[in-house]
Amino acid sequence: MGMILEKLPGITKGMPGGDLILTTADALIDLGRKQSLWPMTFGLACCAIEMMGSYAARFDFDRMGVIPRASPRQADVMIVAGTVCKKMAEPILEIYHQMPEPRFVISMGSCANCGGPYYDSYSVLKGVDRIIPVDVYIAGCPPRPEALQYAFVKLQEKVAKMSLKRGLATPQQEKGSRDLTA
Amino acid sequence: MTQDELLAKMQKKFPKAAKTAVQVKDYLTVSLPSKDDLIPVAAWLKKEGFDYLDMLTAVDYLGPVDMKGYIRQANFNVFLPEGAAPQAESAAVAGYAYRPVLELVWAFVSMKDKARIFVKLEVPRDAARAPSLSGLFKSADWQEREVFDLFGVVYDGHPNLTKILTPDFLQGHPLRKDYVHIKDRYDE
Ligand code: SF4
Repeated sequence: MGMILEKLPGITKGMPGGDLILTTADALIDLGRKQSLWPMTFGLACCAIEMMGSYAARFDFDRMGVIPRASPRQADVMIVAGTVCKKMAEPILEIYHQMPEPRFVISMGSCANCGGPYYDSYSVLKGVDRIIPVDVYIAGCPPRPEALQYAFVKLQEKVAKMSLKRGLATPQQEKGSRDLTA
Repeated sequence: MTQDELLAKMQKKFPKAAKTAVQVKDYLTVSLPSKDDLIPVAAWLKKEGFDYLDMLTAVDYLGPVDMKGYIRQANFNVFLPEGAAPQAESAAVAGYAYRPVLELVWAFVSMKDKARIFVKLEVPRDAARAPSLSGLFKSADWQEREVFDLFGVVYDGHPNLTKILTPDFLQGHPLRKDYVHIKDRYDE
């Protein structure tokens, strides 16, 4: 995509009208979608510190189009950074449902993956994938900011493969979140 | 006022209050014989300048419990090679023997004297009740709710003794040694 954009002025100049390009809707939508993955701002435990580290100047997440948003209504990605307590499970589910589709979830760190150090605790949910569908898992306790950025690269690859024909939801998302009332 | 002076002064008023065998750090630690003494002692301490309730908590002195609970092995060491003999258990400290009691602890601070005093009270594990200090110290309110939530100590006279930390569906008091987790909807 980068190459196309670089050469775009040269190509379009030769076209009739000078400002028309032909592309598929999928390529254009996916391009926009994957370069502006806006995460929801929230952190649950120590992993959130690494997440903040990746937003800050040294790792500079903004250059990848990852700009934290303060409202779930404006967010595309939920980074579950930290320990999910059972008491926190319901608010997380609520935030997830408040995010507009298509929405993605990154499970960051051992705690969000499987409970981590608290695997036999009475109050910790053993993996956030028990309540919401997860797109990318990152191992580590905590994962380094580079790992979080790699997770976004992986998520971008995933987004680039999305197509309107196949529907907006990824296979994980089709599974849907858990219905706690059931 | 030195610790000894304070203790003497306290014992003049409350002859049954005794200095414990093991102190909390270097602070004066006093154990009360019965829970009826708590309110008078706290009121007296407040009058004497110990007008800041630093914290209150509880300690469960029940020994290691069976495999159903969370304590799997008394002296668990993950780094021990297969077949190696575990470390010798350290000898029991006097005053810290395993026994079926909950020890309630209060810490009062005197900002004026820069002094702190710990007050201890033992209650039986099954029927753990103590008078609430929330009438004397506002800060006792939430901390008593926390001890109630995690240890199941009932504070008589508390205005709103309800769970504060654990979710509503959690049954039992998790910091009790014999707590056994009952599966809830989040761990299928
Ligand atoms: S995975 Fe480790 S660093 Fe991350 S929240 Fe859990 S304990 Fe903290």
